[in-house]
This record gives sequence, C-alpha cells and structure tokens, in this order.
Amino acid sequence: MKKYFFKSVQISVFRVIRVPYLWLKNMSEQSENKKNESNGEWEPKIIAFVCNWCTYVGADMAGTGRMKYQANVRIIKVPCTGRIDPLFLMRAFERGADGILVSGCHPGDCHYNAGNYHARRRFAAFRKLIEFIGIDLRRLQFSWVSAAEGKKFVTIINEVTDAIRALGPCKEYQSMALEPPKDKVMPE
Amino acid sequence: METKIINKQDLAKLIDGLISAGARTVAPVKVGQMHLFQEVRSPAEAVFDYFLARRSPKEFLFPQTEPIFSYTRQKDSVKIHPVDMAFPRTVVFGLRPCDAAGPGILDALFAWDYEDKFWFNRREQTAFVSMTCAQADHACFCSSVGLSPDAADTGADLHLTLLDDGQRYFVEAPTGKGKKLVSEFPSLFKPATDSDAAARGSAGEKAKGLITRKLDLSNVKQWLGSHFTDELWERLSAKCIGCGACAFECPTCHCFDFQDEATPEGGVRCKNWDSCCIDNFTLHASGHNPRNIQHKRYRQRIMHKFKYYIDKFGKTLCTGCGRCSRQCPVTLDIAEVLENIAAKAASGS
Amino acid sequence: MSEYDNISNEIRELAAKLLARGEVDVVIGYKPTALPGRTQPAFAYKPEDAREFVFNPLCVSGLPLYLTKAKPEISAKDRIAIVAKGCDVKNIVALQRENQIRREKIKVIGVVCKGVVGKYGRCDGKTEPKPEDLDEKCRYCDVNTPRDYDYLIGEKIESSPQSKEKEFEEINRIEKLSPRERWKFWEEHFKRCIKCYACSKVCPLCYCNRCIVDKTMPRWIDPSSHARGNLAWNIIRAQHLAGRCTGCGECERSCPMDIPLMLLNKKLERESEELFGYRSGYNPHDPIPLAVFREEDDDEFVR
Ligand code: SF4
Ligand code: SF4
Ligand code: SF4
Ligand code: SF4
Ligand code: SF4
Repeated sequence: MKKYFFKSVQISVFRVIRVPYLWLKNMSEQSENKKNESNGEWEPKIIAFVCNWCTYVGADMAGTGRMKYQANVRIIKVPCTGRIDPLFLMRAFERGADGILVSGCHPGDCHYNAGNYHARRRFAAFRKLIEFIGIDLRRLQFSWVSAAEGKKFVTIINEVTDAIRALGPCKEYQSMALEPPKDKVMPE
Repeated sequence: METKIINKQDLAKLIDGLISAGARTVAPVKVGQMHLFQEVRSPAEAVFDYFLARRSPKEFLFPQTEPIFSYTRQKDSVKIHPVDMAFPRTVVFGLRPCDAAGPGILDALFAWDYEDKFWFNRREQTAFVSMTCAQADHACFCSSVGLSPDAADTGADLHLTLLDDGQRYFVEAPTGKGKKLVSEFPSLFKPATDSDAAARGSAGEKAKGLITRKLDLSNVKQWLGSHFTDELWERLSAKCIGCGACAFECPTCHCFDFQDEATPEGGVRCKNWDSCCIDNFTLHASGHNPRNIQHKRYRQRIMHKFKYYIDKFGKTLCTGCGRCSRQCPVTLDIAEVLENIAAKAASGS
Repeated sequence: MSEYDNISNEIRELAAKLLARGEVDVVIGYKPTALPGRTQPAFAYKPEDAREFVFNPLCVSGLPLYLTKAKPEISAKDRIAIVAKGCDVKNIVALQRENQIRREKIKVIGVVCKGVVGKYGRCDGKTEPKPEDLDEKCRYCDVNTPRDYDYLIGEKIESSPQSKEKEFEEINRIEKLSPRERWKFWEEHFKRCIKCYACSKVCPLCYCNRCIVDKTMPRWIDPSSHARGNLAWNIIRAQHLAGRCTGCGECERSCPMDIPLMLLNKKLERESEELFGYRSGYNPHDPIPLAVFREEDDDEFVR
C-alpha cells in the first residue's frame, strides 16, 4: 500500500471536540519545539481522554496544588468515559499519539450513574482486540481518578509517560500515515 | 504481426532485465490460495502456471486509491499541492486475454468529456504481456463477448502462448510498444518458424476448447432497451447484498468517488473505487436515493455493461472473465442473468 | 436416493405447502447454479417456485441476512419461512436478541447439517465433504441439529464435543508472538483489503442503515484503501461485532482477498465469553455483553 500522507496530517486534531483541538495542536507544536530544545531527543506524545466530572477535576486539582508532572500529556475532556468511542483512540494513534490514557470516575461515582461501567466493558474488549493486532498495551492505559485524587493523577501521568518513553515512538501507526513519497507531491 | 519465440529461461531473463532497467515489473504472485498481480523483485516470484488473478490488473492504470492533489490551509488561504503526473515505467506480465482487453475498452471512457491524465499518463508508461489461458472454469464466457482465451490482439502489447514442449513461448507483438520491448532485448527473442506458428495455432485451439459457457448476447441489448422495469430484475437480483466485490475485481468497472482525508490544517483529495451495487452510490445529500432498493442497483450493473456503454462507446463493458460470478458472496452469476435475459428476449417477453 | 435428495425433497414439499396454504409470503432457501461446487440463495413466492430448492453441503451462504432491514425486498414481507442450518439459527437467535426480527412472524425450517464445504474444499454436493474439505466452522460445530426451529428436516444428531485447544490453535499461536510480529502478521493481511465491505454486507448482524464507514460528519475512518484506512476498518468491524458475532464465518468466506477475519471474530468471541460470560446465538434472552454491565465486572486493567 502506498503511503502518501504529508506532514500536516500528522499535526492533527480532533475536529469534533473543539477545545481539545487547540490543545492537541499546541501539543504537536510544542513537541516540535521540544525536539529542537533538547537537541533532537525524542519526547513521547500522550493523549489523555478524561471525564469532565472526576479526572478532569482531579487534574485541575493537581494544577492548583502546583503539583508537577511531565508535560508530554495533552488532555481531552469529554463528558463521560462512556462517551469515548474506540474510534477516538484509533484516531489519536493515527494522528501521532505514542500513548493514550483513558480516565474517569471510580465505579459507582459516575455523574451519569453508569457511563464508566459501560466504558469499562467496551474497553475490556477493545484492548484485547488491539493487543491481538499488535499494539503494545502499555500504550493504551486506563485509570479511575476522582476529583480529589490530584496526586494519583500526577503519579499516573508520570508513570504512563515513563513507560511510553521507554517504549519509544509508536512506529507501527506512524509508519502508516504521514509523508508521501517525495517525488509524488510537488511544491508549488 | 511480428512473431518470435522466447523460452522459459529467457522470459526470466527478460523480467530480470526489466527489473535491472528500473521498470516496475508486475506478475502474478501466489498469495495464500490465490494469485495477485504484484510487483516482483525477481523472476522466481512470478507464477505463470495459474488460472486467473483474483483482482484484475486495472489497478496499474487506475489504482483503487489515488491522491489527485493535497492542500494545506493557512489563515485565510488554501494552498494546493499538485501531484506529480510522471509515473514509473511498468510492465505487467501474465495477463489473460480478458484482462488485457479491459484497458482498451476503458480508453474511450477516460478520454470522453475530459481526458483523464492519470489514466493516460500511466497507460503510456505501461506495457502488458498477456498469455494464452491454460485453465478455465464455468464462470468464464469470454468467447461470448467477442474475445477468446488465445487472442493476441485484445489489448496486450505482447502475447505469449506456451507451446506443446512446455518450454517455449510463441510471442506475438501486436503493438508498437510490444515491438519495442522485443527490440530492447533482442538476444532473448528467437525467430519463429512455420512449425512454431502451427504449434501456436493448435495450442490456441486447445485453449478455445476450455470455454464451456457460451451465451447468445445478440438480443440482450435490445431487450434491455425496452425492459427497464421487468419482473426479472427483482427475481434474479434481490439476493445481491450490495458489496463491492464484483466491481472491484472487474477489469472494466471504473466508477470512482472523491473523498477528502483531512484535518482542519490540510488534507488529501483521493479518487477511490466505487460500485453501483453499493447502496449509497446514488444517495443524495437530501437523503433521497433514486436506486432505493437492491435490484435497481444490480440492474444498473447489467444495463451499464450491456447497453449504456455500448450505446455511448460502441463496446461491451465486460470481458467475460467471470470474476464477478466467482467472487460474489451469494453466487449472483452474471452469465446466468444474461442467459435469463437472452431467453426472455428469444421468447419475446 | 441420497440423504441430501431426501432432505431437499422434504424442504420442497414443506415450502410448497406453507406457500399454498398461505401461511407464509416467501420461503428463503437454496437453489442450484450453473457454477459447479456452488449453490445460491433463492426465494419462493409461489408453491411452484419451491420446486427449485435444494439442500446439500454446498449450501454455504447464511440466509438470515435476508431477514434484516438491510434487505427490505425480502424482510419487508409479513410472514417469512427460512431454511436454516444450526449456525444460521444462531444468527436468527442473535437477531431476535437484538430486536431485529419478530420471531413469531418467522417460520424456521431447521435442517440437520453434517457440515458444509470450505472455501477451498472440494465436494460434489451429493455426499458430505471429507474432513479436510469441511469448512473450518463445521469442524467445531456444536449445533449440527439446530437449537431452535419450527420444523426440523433430517434425523437429529448429537454434535460431538470438540477440542477448544485445536479450535483456537492459530489464535493461541498468534497471541504468543511479540507485538511487532503480530502487527506484521496483520499488516500483511490488511494491506490486501480492497474495502469492498462484503464482510459487513454479508453479515446478518451488520444491519445498520448507515455504517460508521459511510459517516462523513465527522469522518472517523479514512475511506481510502491504504494501510491506515484498512486497519481502521478491520478493527472497527470486529469491535462492532464483539459479543454479537456468532461465528458463522460468512465474512471470511465472502472476503475476496482471503483476509482471515475469523481470527479476529473468534478472538473476541472467546474474550467475550471469558470476560462477560456470554456466547452469542444461544439464547435470545441473554443480554448483549457490551450493552449491559455488572458492577463486579473485571477491573484489573484499570489503574
Ligand atoms: S462484469 Fe464480471 S465477467 Fe464481465 S468483465 Fe467484469 S468481472 Fe469479468
Ligand atoms: S457496472 Fe456499476 S460499478 Fe461497474 S462501471 Fe458500471 S456503474 Fe460503475
Ligand atoms: S452481485 Fe454479488 S458481488 Fe456484486 S454487489 Fe451483488 S452480492 Fe456483491
Ligand atoms: S462477523 Fe462474520 S462470523 Fe460473525 S456473525 Fe458476522 S458474518 Fe458471521
Ligand atoms: S471483505 Fe475483505 S477485502 Fe472486502 S472490505 Fe472486508 S476485509 Fe476488506
């Protein structure tokens, strides 16, 4: 199969989720910058899909508490983990994520009562499927982080980041997208 | 027509020579239980003792997915990046006469109201080497659409027929491109004698004998012209599930769709194969679908191939390769449909 | 007369009777085709149409797909009778479970089946296929006698229990590979996909009016047939069948590019059984695993 995607597709965004789109964009720009600053050292790109009611508030808490965590993660806020379609995760990989974290309310705490229970089943199956296809499951992690668990959020982000950094870039996906053969697309 | 002899070792050398010359060299390759046309890196990968490739070779002129341009968006403007229209030299080996006939049928379409540069630039760069059939099955009906399993002149640039000794191919070069290919590798092609020509003749007769399905299509077009609505359509094609299996493997189906694959910052516009049997082929933005039920979609398949295309371009849009019948998940045998139509036409109903 | 001639005759008689008495509007069955080694789906609307019906080991197509809203030509008929092997009945049960059919409007003509021929198997259609010619799903069949029917044709037989080890041999082998090797394995297969969507169109459980691949606002799956688009499609097709697929094998049989889709389906079938305790196609009152939950569902993968 031909690979002919060009650079800007990699620098990519979620169209439907407006605010996160900016974040993601920033992320790609920032990580480009980071590359330059740290002399070409590769830095992982991590996307965290978090729910509005628990994990996002937990992340906020980490922020207001001035807790530090590694800056590789970009957060996409959704109403509920139940809203997260496996397609979101595939898109994130397609557009250059090296790792993904899905995080929501603890069981029993869902703002919509059962969204996280549904998500849990969906992802229990989905992670088995993509593992079977050859994605290392360290690249797709799940957590429950409540509004009060700023500290847990920090720990998880750091751990996930370290794990992905150790794994290296998600070459599988990145090899599929991206640049066209040079002779195929002419500059204007 | 220029005729020559090439033996099996020299055919391998020809392939080798083309690869070394930097040509994209394509031949049937065994993949699992099927054969597919694929680029080969050595002659050993090519398999010529085979029946028919699962997919027709049209993809070398008309790829399933083809970027036609890409674009990037700046603040208030869009930059268009055109695609390079220079395509690599390609030689496709091992086609069957029904495969080789496809491009010639489609030229008229791609040159019609707009000359499709993607098609013609590739066409110019591509040479086809066909071979006389050694196998056929009951889905094959090439001789009913004016072709034949040994025909050298269906569209290929070179046509090879394996002679009785199983070692030497009789070479016919019906086109200028074919002759050039021969002159490029003069040491590989030997002169053909009269007895070789006779042997080629008998090998051809043998191949013709493989075709068991004979259809009488003489009245079909006329019947189609007056039977846009008929009980036959639903009776025979309600079972069609509306997949793209038939059209995507067909050497003559050429429908495509434009799709953008994009982010807010830019994207690629692609031309992708499509099929009239798929339900949203004719779906309007309003939600209305003029071909709202499956038999109307399948009717388009038959109408286009055996009436509209003939009306417009004077050629039948089918080479009788039988791929659609073989691969159809529900065995909707196009020959059976044509037999039914022919019978209806003959009985005047 | 062979066993299959008897079965065919019984189907013809029963179908003709149901149509003549006006008990059903259409009977869905199989009829011969000119192509050797094949049969084709057929619909009988009048008693005399039923004369064409046959049943033999070449009757591989799953007919329940014609019961769904994806096939309104047939499924819009009020009362339908359908010839169904054990595996087809599993699909009928799954459709019933998903409220896609009203079982009481459908007369299931169950046929005892000793196995159908595989995609590359050989069989003359007169006697049952040799073991090596059997379709893969038939080797591990536990529903040779359908589990639900209104009429049963053929002598009831017991399915012999089969080794799970063998059934999942290839899946186990792939699971043991490294992620890189698994990726390579699937890359090789998916790169052939031509996005014909036969796998979904033929699946009785893929009945959505509008498939996710056809949605454009937003567009989630790249429509082009390149590595990325093909991978996304094949993953999502499998995911959408998770816990629902009955293992009828139609998708793999129909795939013109011979992509081993059953490996994905069976992998998820096993996961859904292990994780949630359900197997699709056995009980119309079972919930759909991914549409329900238990509070005590496995949490281990969540930190
Ligand atoms: S319509 Fe069918 S038989 Fe005719 S050329 Fe196409 S695939 Fe071959
Ligand atoms: S038969 Fe259908 S898919 Fe093929 S070229 Fe005609 S309209 Fe297109
Ligand atoms: S005729 Fe067969 S292959 Fe073609 S769209 Fe219909 S079901 Fe698919
Ligand atoms: S996914 Fe395949 S095996 Fe499963 S029910 Fe659908 S067609 Fe049958
Ligand atoms: S049937 Fe096969 S080739 Fe067609 S879309 Fe499905 S997986 Fe791809």
